[in-house]
Amino acid sequence: MLKSSIRLSVASLVVLTSLPALLPCMAQLNPPANPLAPLPPAPAAPQVQSIYGSIVRIEAATQVPDYREPWKAGRFSGGIGTGFLIGPNRFLTNAHVVSNARRLLITMHGSPRKHPAKIVHIAHDCDLALLEVEDFTPFQTLQHLQIGNVPKLESQVRVIGYPVGGNRISVTRGVVSRIDFSSYSHSRSDQHLVVQIDAAINPGNSGGPVLQDGKVVGVAFQGLRSADNTGYMIPTPVVRRFLKDIQDGTYDKYVDIGITTFPMFNPAMRRKFGLSQTASGVLVASVTPDGPCDGVLKNNDILTAINGNTVDAAGNTLIDGEKVNMNEIVERKFSGDMLKLSIIRDGKAMVVNCTLKPFPPSQMYSVQYGVKPRYTTFAGLVLQPLDRNLYAAHSFTNTRVRRLFAHYIDEGIFKERQDIVILTRVLADPVNTHVSGHVGTAIESINGKKVTSLKQAHDLLHPKEAPEFFIIKCEGLERPIIVPGNKATEASKRTETNYGISAPSQLSK
Amino acid sequence: MKFLTTLAIISPLAFSSCCEQKKIATTGDTQNDESISYQEKETTAQSFVRINATIQKWSASQPWDKSAPAKRRALGVLISDTRVLTTAEMATNITYIELENADSTRRLPAKVVAIDYEANLALLEPDNGDTEDFFKELKPIELGTSAKIGDKIDVWQLEDNGMPLITEGTIQSVDIVSSFADGHYFLTYEAKGSMQSATSSFTLPVIRNGKLLGLLSSYNSKDQIIDVMAPEIIAAFLADTADDKYVGFPSIGIGISSTVDPNFRTWLKLSDDVGGLYVTRIRKDSAAEKAGIEKGDVVIEINGRDIGRRGYYSDDNYGRLYWSHLIRGSQKVGDKVNLTLLREGEEKKVIATLERPGKRLIASYTYDQAPRYLVKGGFIFQELTGTYLQAFGTDWKTKAPLNLLDVLASPEDYEEGRNKLVFLSATIPTPATTGYESMRNNIINKVNGETIADISSLIKAFQKPGSDGLHTIEFSHGPPKTIYLDVAASDTVDAQLLKRGIPALSRE
Repeated sequence: MLKSSIRLSVASLVVLTSLPALLPCMAQLNPPANPLAPLPPAPAAPQVQSIYGSIVRIEAATQVPDYREPWKAGRFSGGIGTGFLIGPNRFLTNAHVVSNARRLLITMHGSPRKHPAKIVHIAHDCDLALLEVEDFTPFQTLQHLQIGNVPKLESQVRVIGYPVGGNRISVTRGVVSRIDFSSYSHSRSDQHLVVQIDAAINPGNSGGPVLQDGKVVGVAFQGLRSADNTGYMIPTPVVRRFLKDIQDGTYDKYVDIGITTFPMFNPAMRRKFGLSQTASGVLVASVTPDGPCDGVLKNNDILTAINGNTVDAAGNTLIDGEKVNMNEIVERKFSGDMLKLSIIRDGKAMVVNCTLKPFPPSQMYSVQYGVKPRYTTFAGLVLQPLDRNLYAAHSFTNTRVRRLFAHYIDEGIFKERQDIVILTRVLADPVNTHVSGHVGTAIESINGKKVTSLKQAHDLLHPKEAPEFFIIKCEGLERPIIVPGNKATEASKRTETNYGISAPSQLSK
Repeated sequence: MKFLTTLAIISPLAFSSCCEQKKIATTGDTQNDESISYQEKETTAQSFVRINATIQKWSASQPWDKSAPAKRRALGVLISDTRVLTTAEMATNITYIELENADSTRRLPAKVVAIDYEANLALLEPDNGDTEDFFKELKPIELGTSAKIGDKIDVWQLEDNGMPLITEGTIQSVDIVSSFADGHYFLTYEAKGSMQSATSSFTLPVIRNGKLLGLLSSYNSKDQIIDVMAPEIIAAFLADTADDKYVGFPSIGIGISSTVDPNFRTWLKLSDDVGGLYVTRIRKDSAAEKAGIEKGDVVIEINGRDIGRRGYYSDDNYGRLYWSHLIRGSQKVGDKVNLTLLREGEEKKVIATLERPGKRLIASYTYDQAPRYLVKGGFIFQELTGTYLQAFGTDWKTKAPLNLLDVLASPEDYEEGRNKLVFLSATIPTPATTGYESMRNNIINKVNGETIADISSLIKAFQKPGSDGLHTIEFSHGPPKTIYLDVAASDTVDAQLLKRGIPALSRE
C-alpha cells in the first residue's frame, strides 16, 4: 500500500524556474466563474475573492540530510506547496511541505510580496503543520477558513491550491469517492482516516484546503501513482485532533493501542472461542511488549467493544454512521486517556481498562525529518543506528539486519537495544583495507560488550585508554574486525582528513 | 552455463540453414590440421553418444505438479562397454533419458547408474532395448591424466549428420569451480577457445592426446572461456561407481575466513612465516567436529601442505590451488587427513576421518526429490528446501519471505525437535479456510499438541484431532500464533480437492 501511494510533494524548483517568471497583476485577478458553487447571493464575487486570499502559496528551501554520508551538509533543494489561514497568524499546511525547511516564504494570492514564515508546530505522523509569518499585518483583513465535518460520500468538493503547471491559484472539483482508514506516506508508518476524492490533486496542491459549502472539509495531501483521478485529503477529525493536541504548546503525537488483531471469520475459530454466527468481536493476536495493553490484554482475548462502541468480527466499528477501523476510536484520543475494553477471556466477558501512552520505540519505523543523522566513525568504519531513514538510504540485504528491523518491536528487541548499530561503510585506509564482508551487518559487540546504543558503541570505541585491540564482532560473522589500539587514533584522524569528514561523530539528533 | 542453455533451445531450422558451410569448413580444417589425423578422428568419434533428456521440475507452489517438460541434448562419452558419462546437469530431474548414436539412426532408453550433483557428473547405461546393435560400432575411450597450463585440448561436438566439429583450446588456468550444485567446488581447467553452436551442445567431451580429459561444464561466449572438469574428479567418480553403492565426495565440515589482514594476524598471534585459515564454523556431527577442530582455530597445514593466508597451497602439478581440493578432490570418504592447527598461538595436530556431509535442516539441494507436502482443508504444508526459496527468482535472497530466509541463515535457531522445517506455503480458499486466505509462510511448531519434525509427523498429528472436532495449528511466530481448523469441514474439502484434480493430498 505504501509503495503505490506517492507523496504529493512540493513541486521541484527545476520545474518552477523553467516557467516564465511573470508575476500576475492585480488587474488580472478576476475570479473565475463558479457555476457549481452553492448558490450565493449577489455579492458572490467578493466572497470568493476573500477565500482565495486566505489560501497562500508556500515556498520552502530545504536541506535534506544525507544518510549515506551523514557528515555531509546534505542536499539543498526546495519546493512549493499550499497553505491556508485558519486563525490569527495561523496557517495550516502539510508537514511534508515544510519538512527539513531552512527558509519558508508565504505569498498571498495575487501579491508579489514574499513573507518570511516559520513552523510553530509540525506533526509528521499526520502530515500537518502550523506556520506563522513574521509580520501578520498584511494578512489582517483576510478571512479565517472554518473547519467543517467529514463530507458525505458522493458529495462535491473543491480543491484550491498552487499545483504545478503555473504560478496562479488553481481550482479543481470532484466528489468524495471513499472514506477509509489508510496509510499516510509522509512518515511511512502511520495510518489514519483518509478521504479519497476524484478531483485532480497534483504536486503543489499539498497543504491546500478542500472546501464544501464554504468550509474546509480536508487538507489535500497525497495521490496515487498507479491510478488516475484519485486524490487524498486529510479529513477534519485528524485536523481537529492536531489542533487540540497543540493547545498545550507541544505536539505529543498519536498514541497507539499496541495490539494486532485477527478477523474472526473462520467458523472453526468462532466455535473454539464460543462465538455465535452473529456475535461481535475480533481476536487479539498479539500485544506489543511495553505498550499500553501489555498486561491488560492477552493473546486470544476477544475484543468486543472499545468505550462501548461494538467491534465487529473484522475489527471495524461504527462512527458517525460510517463503518471504520476500530483504531479510529483510539485515533481521537490523547496520551493519558483511558480506554474501556470489553473482552471475552476464556469464555468470560469482562471489562478492562488501558491508559494510552506514547511509545518511543515505534520511531524506528517512521521517517525522521528535521533531525541530524546520528553516526560515529572509528578508524574509517562508519557506524549508524538503524531506522527508516537509514533503511531507505542503504538497501540492506543482510537477513539478520532485516530481521532485527522487522521484529524490533513485536519481539521486544527495543528493550535491550535502544539502537541497532549498523556498520554502513568502511572508508579504505591501511588499518582496515583487509576488512571485507562486514559492511551492512549489525554490530553485536565491541571488546566483548554487547552493543545497545550508538552512544555506548561510540564510548566503547573511544575509551580513555586504548586497549591492545579493538575487537568488533558483527552479527552472523565469526571473524571479528580487529583494530590495534595503538593505531586507531591515527587511523581515525587520517580517514577524517582524507574523506573530508567534518565531524567525526553526531551522537544526538 | 547460460550460453549452453541458450544453445539447447536454438531451433533446428537455424542449424540447417548454415549446415552446408560448416561441413566445408570442417573438412578444410582437417586437411590443414596436422595434430589429428582423419583416422584418429574417426576412432575418437566412435566413443561419443548423443543423449536426449526430457526434464521436468516440481512446482514450488503446487508441489503435486511437475513443470512442463523441456528437452535437452548433450554429447556423452562411452567410458566402458555400455556405460556413458555425462554431466549431472543433463541427468537431473529427468522424466526420460535416452542414448542416440552419432548419425542419429538408433536410439536406446537409458537409466542413471550414479549421479553426483556436487561434482556435476552422471553415469548412464541402457535401460532395455537392442543394446548389442547400438554399441556394435562404438568403442569406449580411455580416461586421460592431468593436464598442465598451456596444454592444447579439443572440444568435440557432432553436427546433425554425425560429422565431428572440433574446437581447439588452450588451458589458461586451473581453479576450484562450482559448476552445478551451489557451493560445491571442484578442480576445473579453464581453457581459451572460440566455440560455435552445433546440436547436442549441452555438455561436451574434451579430448587430449586421444584420451578423455574431461567434460565441458560451461562456456562463456563473451570471454571465450571453456570450463572443463578435470580427469582426477572423473576418475574418483568412476572409481566410486565401481560397486553398487555410490558414496560421493568427502567433506570436512568447516567454514573459513582468510588471514590476510595484518591486524587480524597480530590478534591471532600468527607469525609472518605461516599462512593459515581462520575457522569460523564447524558443522554439527562433521569430520571436523569429531576431530576436535574448534571455532577460532587456524588451519596452517593439511596433509603436509602449507596453507597460505588466502587458503592456497602449492600443488605439484597445478601450482597454487585452493585448499578444498586437498579434501574434496584428493581424498575419499573414510580417508584420514592430518591437519596442523594453531590454537591460541599453540600448534596442535589432529587427524580427521572424512565423511559425507550430514543431514541439514534445509538441504542445500533436493534434485530429483519430489517435494514433500500435505494438503489439509486447503492449507498446503511443505518442508522448506533451498529449491523452494530459489523459486522466488534470481534475487531470491532478498525476495523470498524473510522468516524463511532466516531459517536458512540461522538453522541452529530452529533445529530443536525438527528433522525438517515444516511451513504453511499457501492457502487455497475453501469453506474450511475462510478467514485464513492470506496466510502463508508460517512456520509450524505443533499440530494437535504434537511437535512437528517433518511432513510425516504432520500427517500423523492431523490424524489425532481434538475431541471438540477441531485441529489446532500452532505457528512459531504469529500473529495469530494458534488457529483452528474444523475436522469435518476440512475432510470434506480434502475429498473435493481430490475430485478437482489434485492427484494426492500428501507426499512423504
